[in-house]
Amino acid sequence: MIDANLMIENFPSFLGGGSGEAVLSTSDGLILTLELLFYSLLGGLALSIPLGLMRVSRNRLVSGAVWLYTYVFRGTPMLVQLFIIYYGLSQFEAVRESWAWTYLQEAYFCALLAFTLNTAAYTTEIIAGQIRNTHWGEIEAAKAMGMSKWLMMRRIVIPAALRRALPAYSNEVVMMLQGTSIAGLVTLADVTGVARRIYSDTYMPFEPFLMAGLIYLAFTFLFVWLFKLAEKRWLAYLAPRKH
Amino acid sequence: MKPIEHPNATSTGLDSQVKLHVADIHKSYGSHEVLKGVSLTAHAGDVISIIGSSGSGKSTFLRCINLLEQPNSGKIFAAGEELQLVPDSRHGALKAGDAKQLARLRTKLAMVFQHFNLWAHMTVLENIIEAPVHVLGVPKDEAIARARKYLEKVGLKNVEDKYPSHMSGGQQQRVAIARALAMEPEVMLFDEPTSALDPELVGEVLRVMQDLAREGRTMVVVTHEMGFAREVSNHVIFLHQGRIEEQGNPKEVLVKPKSERLAQFLSGSLK
Repeated sequence: MIDANLMIENFPSFLGGGSGEAVLSTSDGLILTLELLFYSLLGGLALSIPLGLMRVSRNRLVSGAVWLYTYVFRGTPMLVQLFIIYYGLSQFEAVRESWAWTYLQEAYFCALLAFTLNTAAYTTEIIAGQIRNTHWGEIEAAKAMGMSKWLMMRRIVIPAALRRALPAYSNEVVMMLQGTSIAGLVTLADVTGVARRIYSDTYMPFEPFLMAGLIYLAFTFLFVWLFKLAEKRWLAYLAPRKH
Repeated sequence: MKPIEHPNATSTGLDSQVKLHVADIHKSYGSHEVLKGVSLTAHAGDVISIIGSSGSGKSTFLRCINLLEQPNSGKIFAAGEELQLVPDSRHGALKAGDAKQLARLRTKLAMVFQHFNLWAHMTVLENIIEAPVHVLGVPKDEAIARARKYLEKVGLKNVEDKYPSHMSGGQQQRVAIARALAMEPEVMLFDEPTSALDPELVGEVLRVMQDLAREGRTMVVVTHEMGFAREVSNHVIFLHQGRIEEQGNPKEVLVKPKSERLAQFLSGSLK
């Protein structure tokens, strides 16, 4: 039998409360999950636009370097990347003595770094693919109108590529939401981390992980819906005409 | 179509202003020479039709004028400037020596394409104001007023907020013409503007082009429409295998061709 009481009692823990503390008194649980997701997506997207442009560069050295980066980060599990950054780097004295150590000794920062680099790699490939898909006629029209290369990229190529990237990117966002659940393995109390804590306190595994699963489901639903709205707005030109 | 008077036609005997002069363009793809020295001079108000069978090099020639294709040799003068051309180390053709100058000349040589090439993610209005605002630096409200004026000229109403993909080919091409007009160019280049259209939509685009010719706009038109070439243009150039086989007043050239190849071409295309 499912212990519904246990689920209700422990629900505040997922919202940063618990054991007599008010909800949201800490950023444990949902807030941490959303924070990690939001900042890594923001950083990943910001990185992926210039990287996407470099990925389609005619300069082999530039596109090759970005290819290597996306290949490595898409070719290894995010968990391994997180462990290398959090546990692996501390092994080197040079790292421990550098300015970066202030950040690299923090699990929160390591998770953010791993997630950002990971999503940036996937998003770079999504955007590069859509830049390559730009209709050559639209590029010719931009040139014939006297646009410089940079203006054409900024006004025509990138805005159109980002719009067409929306469906694939919504997938990436959902995958990243689930991906943040590994943050608990480096001591962070995200949604999954909180569920693990409840499990170790109560020896009841099913209820806390069911709660965690329901929270991920709800947010997946929300993100998919938000992207539907975004596609309706920014991809209207690809929709069948309605009149 | 009714024959039209050209305000500045060379036949008036006045030394009219040269808007575009292209001299001795050669273009090869590998060992295949597509253009073997083609020249053209457009005075203000000239409407020049370039005809020829497919593969004659007529589109390539037009695209060399604004450097969408890189010629191997030749000279291009437009709007009182000579376009600086320097060898391109990558494949031996010529490229612009000064990117800014090329951009400036391109704004004066607006082009209309066979496949319209409207920017799909932008509405009609956004398509038309894009280059005036971001290339020419026209204030946005002024560009919008300009766009509306030219949309009216091409006979389109209530389309400002539509996306190109939601319009017919004829409408899209008229938007593309309005987009070119909004640059207020010195010369308009048309690359087979009706070839991608359903037959019943060709007329609406040709009528717009005829109106533009009547206003005295300088136009260079690559076309398969012999009616347009005969009735609207004041000069016709027949290209054959990368050379000008015959050229002159369409009333003479198209009616009594001197070259056998042109006669052959016309018997194939005039029904």
